[in-house]
Amino acid sequence: MVILSQVLHPIEKKIINALKETEKLNIEELEQKTNLSSDQVRRGIEWLKLKGLADIIESQETKHKLSSAGSEVLKSGLPERKLVNLLNEGPKTFDEAKQSLSESDFHAAIANAKRNDWIQIEKDDSTTKISLKVQDPPSSAEEKVLQEINQGNFDQNALYHDQNQHEKLVGYFRLKKLGLIEEIVKKSKTVSLTEKAKDIDTSEKGLAEIDVEAAIPATFVARAHPLKEVINEIREIFTSLGFTEVLGNFTQPSFWNFDALFTPQDHPAREMQDTFYIKGYTSDKVASPAQIRQVSKSHKLGWRYNWNIEEAKKMVLRTHTTCVTIKYLADQKPDEARIFSLGRVFRNEKVSYKHLAEFNQVEGIVVGKDVTLRDLMGLQQEFYRKMGLPKVKFWPTFFPYTEPSLQSMVYNERLGKWVELFGMGIFRPEVTKPLGITKPVLAWGGGIERIAMLKYGLDDVREFYNNNLGWLRTAIQCQ
Amino acid sequence: MPVVTLYLDRLQRLVGKTSKEKIISTLPFLGLDIEEQTDQYIRVEYSPNRPDYATDFGIAAGLQGLLGIKKGLVKLDVKRGPYQLKADQSVRKVRPYVTAIVAKNGNLDNETIRQLITLQEDLHFGIGRNRKKSSIGIHDLDKIEFPIRYTTATKEHRFVPLGSETESTISDILQNTEAGLQYGKLLENAEAMPIILDAKGNTISFPPIINSALTTVSSSTKNLLVEVTATDKNTAEDTLSVVAATLQNAGFLLTSVQISGANNTTPLLKTKKMNLGVELTNKILGLKMSSSVIATALKKCRLDALPKRNNISCTIPRFRFDILGPMDLIEEVALGYGIENLKPTLPQSSAVGQKNIVTKQLDLLSKIMVGLGFTEALNSSLVSKNIQYGMTNRDSFGFIQVVESKSQEHTILRDMLLPSMLDTLSRNVHEQYPQKLFEIGTVFSADDPIKEEISLCCISAHKDANYSEIKSILQSTLKTGFNIECETKTSTHFCFAKGKTADVIAKNSKIGAIGEIDPAIVENFKLRMPVVAFEIKLSGLIFN
Repeated sequence: MVILSQVLHPIEKKIINALKETEKLNIEELEQKTNLSSDQVRRGIEWLKLKGLADIIESQETKHKLSSAGSEVLKSGLPERKLVNLLNEGPKTFDEAKQSLSESDFHAAIANAKRNDWIQIEKDDSTTKISLKVQDPPSSAEEKVLQEINQGNFDQNALYHDQNQHEKLVGYFRLKKLGLIEEIVKKSKTVSLTEKAKDIDTSEKGLAEIDVEAAIPATFVARAHPLKEVINEIREIFTSLGFTEVLGNFTQPSFWNFDALFTPQDHPAREMQDTFYIKGYTSDKVASPAQIRQVSKSHKLGWRYNWNIEEAKKMVLRTHTTCVTIKYLADQKPDEARIFSLGRVFRNEKVSYKHLAEFNQVEGIVVGKDVTLRDLMGLQQEFYRKMGLPKVKFWPTFFPYTEPSLQSMVYNERLGKWVELFGMGIFRPEVTKPLGITKPVLAWGGGIERIAMLKYGLDDVREFYNNNLGWLRTAIQCQ
Repeated sequence: MPVVTLYLDRLQRLVGKTSKEKIISTLPFLGLDIEEQTDQYIRVEYSPNRPDYATDFGIAAGLQGLLGIKKGLVKLDVKRGPYQLKADQSVRKVRPYVTAIVAKNGNLDNETIRQLITLQEDLHFGIGRNRKKSSIGIHDLDKIEFPIRYTTATKEHRFVPLGSETESTISDILQNTEAGLQYGKLLENAEAMPIILDAKGNTISFPPIINSALTTVSSSTKNLLVEVTATDKNTAEDTLSVVAATLQNAGFLLTSVQISGANNTTPLLKTKKMNLGVELTNKILGLKMSSSVIATALKKCRLDALPKRNNISCTIPRFRFDILGPMDLIEEVALGYGIENLKPTLPQSSAVGQKNIVTKQLDLLSKIMVGLGFTEALNSSLVSKNIQYGMTNRDSFGFIQVVESKSQEHTILRDMLLPSMLDTLSRNVHEQYPQKLFEIGTVFSADDPIKEEISLCCISAHKDANYSEIKSILQSTLKTGFNIECETKTSTHFCFAKGKTADVIAKNSKIGAIGEIDPAIVENFKLRMPVVAFEIKLSGLIFN
């Protein structure tokens, strides 16, 4: 038995079964035998042909039938036969014949009867006389054709191939010219099985199988945004490391975004070309009077200028999540804490493949009387290990509100190089002291999109916010 | 962050006995990020708190320390000189402070000049706050007749500015030169124009805009005058100290200029003394170092350190004004000890982490939406006014705007999520339908203070999309999420078609709207499918 790679559709099986019984069938016959619609049969035989299981022979057949005039003539006879019938009574003059037959019939009758060699015409002085050569002459070629067509046994092709039938062929064309017969062209397909098809198992068991190897249309999974998945993973990791999330507003008074973090009021980062200020909004109550007093003093002492409360009141879109954590620490003054803050932050940047005006940041904070810089490094390492980034190293760097400050570098296998990720440090005393925070504060954090880019192998950070369905629907989830 | 180009041959010569490889691998441990690397040069980014790293002279000094080639402080050796600079009272209201130093017998090759110009620019940009707070002029000393005078003039005052061959008035310079146009605004409200004149009455400088052509420095210049004008006396000396230290490293002999008048005094450029506790240092770094180990580490960072029993007496050069207190010194200790020698540990304390209740609930809601067959989209909170108002045929008033955004796409804070979702659909018309999306995000109301709330928007676009479909989704969301029976009341809304719009009511108050998107808006976004959507505020559902 031949094993086929294709599995057959039920329609195909029905057609094969019919052809196993009768070697050659046309479409109508297949319809009858299979109880399929003509459309199904047509589709089915095309499929079989493509699979090399059926041969289709297309043929064309011309059939003939009498026109309505032809049927009339069959009953009443051709003009020459009408003439013969008249002359059977005895010879007639032209005038007599003309009277019995119509004018038009008369000329045709005379011409055709003469050609058939049925009549003779004698002329004397005054009259022309017509008489039969033989009483009741046999059927002419035309008459035979008419009869055969009527009976359905006319075979035009046979006429072409038989010299003796020449007369009949001429008669056929004459009748056609007179409009007495019509041609009907009929195309038909004859289907037969190829050798390969004859071994196919089309049993009932076989009918339950489907084409399991065929291509099918795509189904897209509904899913959370790939970036959200990374964010959720980061939240999980922070929680597993003992951190609790604190939330805060996107819109913040400059006080918490800058002043509380010892950023001098003339610092370039506070300029409009870096920070989004909200038009027409200031905050009436930025902080407690004691907090304001202490921060003001710290700026005067550290940066030697007159701190201005009005600058601190200006509302900005937070440039980092540190404004949330520092306010939490200033309000709660915990001696020991592990908190983190995660969310959107804003920078007035030209958007490009590596910069966004709005992105996500996470920041972790540890407060404790005995926490050290090495602990901060250890927490980093643990965080990256959980993110699947085992190779980490540290370099010194600078951040305005931490001292000492470090940056972490992680090795990316895909890029084959070290990539700068989170920054970290210990909050400066100029930040913590005025706010009444007495224990060392370890802080670290950075942009989340950077990590997500590594994870999804993206080179353009804008992809996360393009909502390109082509990507959202196909970005690999389990990795 | 500023970037400096270092030619490796030159840097190696400045550092002394070491290999280029060693230099390159040590740079990051000075806090310098390598941006670009070729066989000839390397480009590094340095922190703005270390302007002394703006030249290869400063970086070479740092490398010598970490590599153990030269340790400890480089003493600033300033000879007393005959030079005098006097400030007039008239500068007090314009740009009150001036300071200066003379540097002699140096060799200025083209690369050194280039390095000095970079230093000057970076100082202008950084601590100079774009020349507002302080600005520097470097002059050919031999073209100047002392004593010199810092005074003011009118806008009609004439001199030949740097880079020009003809005399111009100050008005002209402000209106027609690049420097004038860029920095002229710093003198916008000034009563008079600050200038520095020499004994012959020649103009040397028009701070903070431009120097004169007369004192142009070239590779044949041997002796320099550096002057700094500023709005703050300390900043003036900070700035001068960095240039002075760099020029000494470059081989110049420093000579003082006597400064007087209008509260100005001769710069002292003195070192600073600070004590660092051994216990604090070890506590912060998590180490158990002796005071001498700490002192060695500090010396490798080019500071002077004298170990005592419980503390270290440190001497800090004037240009290290980034060192404010003990924590800054501890960072120096960490660098000198070697960051690579600090082994990570985990804190001894432990804590139990807890998920934020709001975050947790939003996450659960997101899971419900995904379960209902919707894919999550993320849009910016800062959106374009055109999409938020124009495209949704809405009158634009009462929106919250940011000042001077660099992008037209990010100018106002969104008050609802739906317009961005429609924009998302319009950017995906070539993708397979049905398209079903949701977003959970912050929206802003123009109250005072600004109100921030979290909304859920759900949108569906396909050829059979209709009201029943989206209401069914809303119903399931509210029921599954919050056990709330959904109520919809006939209403009107600018986003939705008339007769196919309802308010969403939960717990007797309106929380949002639902409906079929108005065909005119569908048209605006060039969508070829019917679109249905709802948007609800989650305040009151998740939050109270």
